[in-house]
Amino acid sequence: MSSALPWSILLLPLASAVVILLFTLRSGRVSSFTSVLAALAAFLCSWALFTSENTRAIELTWIDLRPLLYVPLGFVIDGLSKTMLLVVTGVGALIHVYSLGYMRNDAGKSRYFASLSLFMFSMVGIVLSNNFVMMFIFWELVGVSSYLLIGHWFERDAAAEAAKKAFLTNRIGDFGFMIGILMIWSATGSVVFREIAMQMPQIIAHPGFLTIAALLVFCGAAGKSAQFPLHVWLPDAMEGPTPISALIHAATMVAAGVYMLVRVGFLVQSSPAALGVIVWIGTITAVMAALIATQQSDIKRILAYSTLSQLGYMVMAVGLASGEAAMFHLFTHAFFKALLFLGAGAIIIMLHHEQNIWNMGGLAGKLRVTFLTFLVGTLALIGCPPFSGFWSKDAILALAYTRSMPIFVLGLFTAFLTAFYMTRLLVVVFLGKPRTDAARSGREAPIVMTVPLLLLAIPAFLAGFSFVATRFLPLPQEKEAVALVPVLATLAMIAGVTLGVVLYRNREREPLNIALLRKRFFFDEFYTWLIGVTQGTLARLSDFFDHWIIDAGAVRGLSSATWGIGALLRLFQVGNLQAYSFLFGLGIVGLIYFTIFR
Amino acid sequence: MDMNYLELLKLASPEAIVVATALAVLAVGLTSKNAPVLCSTVGVLGLILAAAEVFMLPFNATLFHGMLVISPLASLFKVICLTLAFFTVILARSDRSSRHHGEYLALLLLATIGLMLLVGSEELLMIFIGLELTGLALYVMTAFDKTDIRSAEAGLKYFLFGSTASAFTLFGLSLVYGMCATTGLAAIAQKLVAQPLSPLLAAGIVMTLIGFAFKIAAAPFHLWAPDAYQGAPVSSAAFIASGSKVASFVVLGKIVLVGFGPAHGSAAWHAMVAGWMPVLAVLAALSIVLGNLVALAQSNVRRLLAYSAVAHAGYTLLGLVAGGREGFSATLFYTTVYAFTLVGAFGVVALVRRETGGDDFVNFSALWSRSPLLAGCMAIFMLSLAGLPPLAGFFGKFYLFSAAMRAGENHGLLWLVALALFGSLISLYYYLIILKVIFSEPALSEVERGHQNLEHPGQPRGRLREGGDFLQRTTVAVLAIAVLFFGILPGALLARIIAALP
Repeated sequence: MSSALPWSILLLPLASAVVILLFTLRSGRVSSFTSVLAALAAFLCSWALFTSENTRAIELTWIDLRPLLYVPLGFVIDGLSKTMLLVVTGVGALIHVYSLGYMRNDAGKSRYFASLSLFMFSMVGIVLSNNFVMMFIFWELVGVSSYLLIGHWFERDAAAEAAKKAFLTNRIGDFGFMIGILMIWSATGSVVFREIAMQMPQIIAHPGFLTIAALLVFCGAAGKSAQFPLHVWLPDAMEGPTPISALIHAATMVAAGVYMLVRVGFLVQSSPAALGVIVWIGTITAVMAALIATQQSDIKRILAYSTLSQLGYMVMAVGLASGEAAMFHLFTHAFFKALLFLGAGAIIIMLHHEQNIWNMGGLAGKLRVTFLTFLVGTLALIGCPPFSGFWSKDAILALAYTRSMPIFVLGLFTAFLTAFYMTRLLVVVFLGKPRTDAARSGREAPIVMTVPLLLLAIPAFLAGFSFVATRFLPLPQEKEAVALVPVLATLAMIAGVTLGVVLYRNREREPLNIALLRKRFFFDEFYTWLIGVTQGTLARLSDFFDHWIIDAGAVRGLSSATWGIGALLRLFQVGNLQAYSFLFGLGIVGLIYFTIFR
Repeated sequence: MDMNYLELLKLASPEAIVVATALAVLAVGLTSKNAPVLCSTVGVLGLILAAAEVFMLPFNATLFHGMLVISPLASLFKVICLTLAFFTVILARSDRSSRHHGEYLALLLLATIGLMLLVGSEELLMIFIGLELTGLALYVMTAFDKTDIRSAEAGLKYFLFGSTASAFTLFGLSLVYGMCATTGLAAIAQKLVAQPLSPLLAAGIVMTLIGFAFKIAAAPFHLWAPDAYQGAPVSSAAFIASGSKVASFVVLGKIVLVGFGPAHGSAAWHAMVAGWMPVLAVLAALSIVLGNLVALAQSNVRRLLAYSAVAHAGYTLLGLVAGGREGFSATLFYTTVYAFTLVGAFGVVALVRRETGGDDFVNFSALWSRSPLLAGCMAIFMLSLAGLPPLAGFFGKFYLFSAAMRAGENHGLLWLVALALFGSLISLYYYLIILKVIFSEPALSEVERGHQNLEHPGQPRGRLREGGDFLQRTTVAVLAIAVLFFGILPGALLARIIAALP
C-alpha cells in the first residue's frame, strides 16, 4: 500500500487542478476548498511517507524504445526527496490556507487555485523524478504554472510583463539544461540518475566534457534559482499575489535549482572546474543581491533580493561540494522566508495594498501577531543564535572557512549586510510613528492568515537545532569544528543590526542614497539595452526582407480586385518575382558550389 | 516480369478507391443541389474506405522494380496522409469559396493520391510523378479562392517556383540516372557504393534534393510559403503544411538514406565531408535561423505559421542529417506530430477568419472570451510548436535532438543541435505573443471590427454558429487532444514508426 503513497502525493494536486478546471470554475468557494483539501491531503501523505521505511514506488514504463531510449515513470524515494516533499507540501499547505484569506475577494479565485494546484503537482514531480526527462518536464511545468501565477493579475501590464520575463529568462537557463541532458544521455545512454551515477567513471575520464555538461546542467539551476546573471526575473515576479511570492519565489520553486544540483551531486562534484564556477556564481549572487536589498523601498522587493542572496548561499554550498549544507540552508530558509513573505502579505493587505515601507511605520502595536512572527523570521534570517538560520548559515560559512578564504570573507560580509537591511526593514515598518493614514488605521489580519504565520514561526525557530534537524536530513559534518566562525558570524550580525538601528531609528525618509544600488546595478537597463540592440538589428534585417521581397507583392495584392490583372502582370515585371527567382537560383548555385568545391 | 493487371489493381486498391472517390465527388458536385454537404460526405467516406483498404493489403510487396512498394512504412504513412486529408476535408467546409466545392474536393483527393504514390514508391520516376501530381493539384487549390487576389497571387508564385524546382529535380534525377543507369533506389545505392563522389554526381544529388527542399519549405527555397500560407484558402494551406510535408519528408528520407545512402558525407563540425548530409545540414541551419528571425516580425497568424514552418522544416531535417534508423524515425515522428498540430492550428484560423473576416493578430484578440474552446486548443497547438512539455512537440524535439546528438563521433552535430535549441528558444517568444493576444488583449469593439471588414471587401462576417461549425470545433478539439496524447504517450506512435522502418 505504501508504495502507492508517492503516486497519491503527486496526483492529488493534479486531480484538484483538473476538477477545478472542468467543473468548478464558476464557484470560487468550491474551487478554493478543493485545492486546500488536496494540499492538506498531500501533506498528510508526505508525512506518512516520511515516517514509513518505504523506499520503493511502483515504477511504470513511459517510453520504451530500447536500446535507443528508455524513460521510466519512476520515483526516487530517499531521505533527500522525503524531506523535500515535506517542505514543499507542508509550506504549500499552509500557503493554501493563507490564500483563502488573501484571495478572498479576488475575481479570478478559481483560476488562482487551479494554478496553485498545478504548481504543487509539478513541484512534487520535480522532487520525485528519478530521471532527467521526467524532471525536465516537471521543470517546465513549474515554469508554466509560475507564469500563470505571476501573471494572475494579467490586466496589470507590469504583472503580464513580469510573467513573460520570468518565463523567458527561465527558458534561457533551460536551453543550457537541455543540451546538458542530451550530452549526458549521449555519453551514458541513459537518463536515469542511478544508472548515470554508475557510469560516472567513464565520463570522468573526459574532464573537459564533464565540465561542460555539468555547467550546462547548472545553467538550468541558475535560471530557476535566479542566480547571477539570470537573476533579473525574481524581483519582478513580486508582481504576483503575495502568497505566490512566499510559495514559489521563496520556499519551493527557486529552491528547485538547488535541489536538482544536490540530486545530481554525483555529476557536479566530479568536476572541480565546474564547482569553481558554481561557487563563485553563488558568492557573487549572495553579495550583489544583499547590496541591492539595502536600498530598496518596496517591502516585497527587499525580501525578493534577500531570497536571491540566500539562494546564493545555497549555491555557494553546492559549489563547496557539500550538498548537505545546501539542503540544510534550503530547509531552514523555506520556513523563515515563507514566514517573512506571509507576514509582509498580511501587512500589505491590511494597509490596502501598500508596499512602500516608507508609507508604513509604527505597525508593531497594531499588527501584534504579525509583528512577533515577523520578528522571529527576521532573527532566523539574519542568523541570530539560536534561531534556525544561524545554524544553517554557520554550516556554510564554516565550510567556506576551511576551503577558501575569499569566499568566507564575502560570505561574512553578506551576513553583515543581511542583518543591516533586515533591521532597516523592521525598524522602518514596525517602529517609530505611523507615516500615513493607511498605517494609522492598520488592523490585525484575519485568523486564516495569522494561524499559518504562527505555525511557520515554530519551525523558523526550531528547525536549526541539530536534534530537530537530524530527524529530517543529514547534517554536514565539520571535520574540524572551528569555534571562530560562529563568533565572527555573530559579530557581523550584531554590527549589522547596530548600524541599522543607528541609521534608521525615527527616520522619515531614506538617509542614504546610493543610485547604483537603488537601480540594482543597472542590470535591467543593461539587458533592455542589449535586447534593444539585438532586436533592433533583427528588426532591421527582417524589415529588409519584408521590403525587398515580401511586402511588395502582398500589399499591392491587397488593394482591390480591380487591380487584379494589373498586379498579376506587374509581378512579372517588378522586382518581386525576379528577386525570388534570383534567390532561388543563388541558393542552388551556392549549394552545388558548397558540395563540390569545398 | 509477369504483368498481372488484376494483381496491380489489388495492390493499388487504396489509390484506386481515392481516384474513384475523386470522380464521384466531381459528379456529385455537378449534379446535386445540396452539393457541399453531399460532396464532403462522399469524400470522407471514400477516404475512410481507402484507409480501411490499406489495412487489407499484404504486408510486403514490390511491383515493377519498386514503382509500387507495399511495406509497413508505406502503409503507415498512407494511413497518416489519408487521415490528414480527412481532417482537411472537414475543415474545407468552413471555407466560403465553396461555390465549386465538388471540384475543390476532387483536387484535394487527387493531391492525396499523389501523396500516396510518393510514400509508396521506391523508384525515381514514380516519385517524380507523385511530386508533380501533388504539386499540380496543390497549385490549383492555392489559387482556388477566386474572390481574393492574394489567392491568385499565391497560386501563381507557388506554381512558378514549384515548376522551377521540379525542373531542377528532374535534371538532377537524369544526372543520377546517367551515372547509375537505373532509377530504383536500392539499385542506385549499389552503384554508388563502388563510385567516388564525382562533381557530376554531386550536382545531380544536390539538384534532386532541391525539389524536396522546395516542398518542405526549407530556406532558401521557402519564398513561396508565406504567400501560399497566407493567401490560399485556409484548408489548402493546411494541406500544404501537413499532408504534402509529411509525404515529402518520407520520400526525402527514403531517397537520401536508401538511394544516396553511400554518398552521405559528413556534417560534423570541422570535419565536413562532401555528400548530402552537409547539404541538408546547411539547409537546416539556414531554415532555423531565417524562419525564426523573420517570424518574430510578423503580425499575421498565417504568415507567422509560414515562417515558423520554415524553422520546423529545419528542425525536422536534423533527423535525416543524423541518419540511421534512429534519425529517420525521429524525423518521421516529428513531421507527423507537426502536421497534426498545424491542421489543428489552421482549423482555429479558419473558424476565427469566418467569424471576424481576417487572420491578423487583431482578429484573435480576446478569443478567450469569445470561445474558450478554440482559445484553449490554440494554446495547446502553439505551446506544442514551441516545444513545451508535456505536449507532443516537446517529445518530438527531444527525440530529434538527441538522435542528432548521438549521431557521428565526438558529438559532431552539437553545433546544429545548439542552433536548433536556440531557435526554439526564440520561437517561444512569438508563440507567446499569439497567446498573449488571445488571452489578454481586450476584444475589438464592434465598430473596429466593422472597420476591419471594410479593409477586406467581399468577406462577409459569418455568424458565430452556423451549420458545420460544430463538426469543425470537434475536429479541432480532437486534434488538440491528439497533440496532448502523443506528448504523454509518444510511444504509441513512435514504436509503430520504428517497427515500420526496415
